Amino acid sequence: MTKNATISRRSILAGTAALGVGSLGFPAITRAQARTVKIGLVHPVTGFLAFNGQQCRAGALMAIEEINAAGGIKSMGGARFEALIGDAQSQVAVAVSETTKMAEAGANAFIGCFSSALGLAATQEAAKYNIPFLIDVGVSDNITARGLKNVFRFKAGHSVTVDKSVETLDGLNRSKGSPVKSAIIVHEESEFGTVTATRMAEKLPGVGIQVKEVIKHANPTRNFDNIALRIRQQRPDAVIISNYLNEYQLLCRTIKQQRVPVKALYSVLGGGFNIRFAREQAEVSQNVMDYNHWYNPRNPRALEFRRRVEAANLFCTFEVMLSYFCVKILHDALERAGTADKDPLINALASSTFSDHFMPYGPTRFVNGQNQGAQSVCIQALDRDMKVVFPAEYAEAQAVFPLPT
Amino acid sequence: MIGWTTPRGWAHIGAGFAFALLIPAFVTQNFLLHIAILVLFSAYLGQAWNIAGGYAGQRSFGHAVFVGTGAYVTAILQTRFGWNPWLTLPPAIIGGAAVGWLIGFLSFRAGLRGSYFALITLAFSEVARILANSLEITRGGLGILVPLSPGFANFQFANKGNFFIVVLAMFAVAFGIAWWLEKSRFGARLVAVRENEDAAAALGVDTFKAKLHALMLSGGMAALGGSFYVQYYLYVEPPIAYGVERSVEMLLVSMIGGSGTVLGPLVGSIALHLISDTTRHFLEAPGVALILYGIVLILIVGFLPDGLISLFRRRPTVVPDTDSGAPARRGAHA
Repeated sequence: MTKNATISRRSILAGTAALGVGSLGFPAITRAQARTVKIGLVHPVTGFLAFNGQQCRAGALMAIEEINAAGGIKSMGGARFEALIGDAQSQVAVAVSETTKMAEAGANAFIGCFSSALGLAATQEAAKYNIPFLIDVGVSDNITARGLKNVFRFKAGHSVTVDKSVETLDGLNRSKGSPVKSAIIVHEESEFGTVTATRMAEKLPGVGIQVKEVIKHANPTRNFDNIALRIRQQRPDAVIISNYLNEYQLLCRTIKQQRVPVKALYSVLGGGFNIRFAREQAEVSQNVMDYNHWYNPRNPRALEFRRRVEAANLFCTFEVMLSYFCVKILHDALERAGTADKDPLINALASSTFSDHFMPYGPTRFVNGQNQGAQSVCIQALDRDMKVVFPAEYAEAQAVFPLPT
Repeated sequence: MIGWTTPRGWAHIGAGFAFALLIPAFVTQNFLLHIAILVLFSAYLGQAWNIAGGYAGQRSFGHAVFVGTGAYVTAILQTRFGWNPWLTLPPAIIGGAAVGWLIGFLSFRAGLRGSYFALITLAFSEVARILANSLEITRGGLGILVPLSPGFANFQFANKGNFFIVVLAMFAVAFGIAWWLEKSRFGARLVAVRENEDAAAALGVDTFKAKLHALMLSGGMAALGGSFYVQYYLYVEPPIAYGVERSVEMLLVSMIGGSGTVLGPLVGSIALHLISDTTRHFLEAPGVALILYGIVLILIVGFLPDGLISLFRRRPTVVPDTDSGAPARRGAHA
């Protein structure tokens, strides 16, 4: 019996489909030939978190390029980092898909995911493979509180950040004779805004600031006129904001447009408070204060880093820094472990005392995956720039507080 | 239509399910299994929408309200009351059916049809999202995190192959329900309502009851999908549960594949995931994959208004009418 040598249309279609499906599962084979350590970068570079995700990715790639250019991981014979790039599309299901795909493509570690919801799902997926996952941005306490041994976060967690933001506001307030005695909290509806608002509403009365109202808004919200009118009617001394990029900037703009008389516009981890906001919306952003992740401006390396980022036509935001240092922490752990094997690498991360950074943190010390020394600082938008104004040990400018009337 | 009700068709379907059952044994890559799970999950939810939207013609824009209800029932019973996740499935289904009854009773009693019904379902879904954001029992915007504890008893599997089997079983049940609708008097009543509600009523069909039952059935099925989602991702929050994206996805897979057909949601789901995952994999520039995805969708909707399933329909053949000598069409409805 002989086989017909002709190729049918059906065979071609079947073969093409098999090739397509097969290549989905084996991306690593075509990409990597030399000895490499693969880092899966799981960020939302499209969707409503696109700007933040792109900033995170840029920071991580910058560190990878820098480490590779300096000879790679020396204890592993100069092994280079290779980035596996994924787009979580600001969706939980896609973040999990990307994590799974990268795990099967041989990812030795992950960095991500900017958002807490994405981070919660992606870290859990990585845990099934026992692959270390460094959270760059993603504030939920639950990320590190679930007991997953593979998860590490360089920056501070949510509760600590909110508590310290209240201490900071109190410190500023007292230093100026306590002009702020009441506040309204405006927050977005997800975990990030809700936890911030709830915890602040509990803590503020303890420092002599009465909370007149807590206002929640949906994501997205494209008009803050009514909220601004409510604030104006209640006449609080301060408006405290906790929301994402667009809503943050729209709310600030509406408050300024409607000339709502407040003594302070203060945000906690303000999603829209960044150098771009300070530059492109100078009148709106002027004197707005944010308690957020930022570098130690008294460290010359920080300023050099900022110049390098801006020379690359990027905005120097906290996302860039935090992702950059997540790669550096991973590099440090790999140097000490001498291997990219999962358990030794996780142990090396857990015992990390990384201090080669310019954040106001001190050496890393992970307890249940959370860096204990991490803290944020109070930054104020001043003359198209962002300046640290509190605490005094990191301050580079005097706070404009209370706001001039 | 495809001749799947013939013995040969049954053999094809049986072979298809048997082949699908073997997938976890041969596919060891979790990523491919994950994609297969997502395809079947979307197909399942699409089939749930198809019962009300496709067969009964009650096109809803807010089916996420049922998915979210199932998700929250499972999550709340587990985390607050310590229920075993398997035992939360019946209450979730009942919850989804109850919400279907409520929406259907209020909407159909008020005589809402077509775009008005679509909009009211969207409104219900939004109300549910706001409630979930505000109520203490749903933990508001915090969402509910189900503790990671892999094991069959906890409806959590370290091996994705087991999730695949579960979702395949769910899809098989949904497939069976759709098949039953095609053969049953209830299904005939739904199609009659879809084609001309007034004419169906004139012929004695209790259209209110038929639509209500379709929506309850659809809601219960969608709620089970929500329960599966929670067990797979172990996290639910209001935008995930009740987001409009979920509703759009459910109607999209059904309409792209072919609404009111048994296999349409599966075909639509395969097509959409193939386009989405392939473009995302091969195109790294941000957003390009989404643009391409959109273009392909426009082309499918533009050139195949009856869905991709219409590609598989038998072409009508022309045979001479022996009585009159005039040509007659055959096979158009085979």
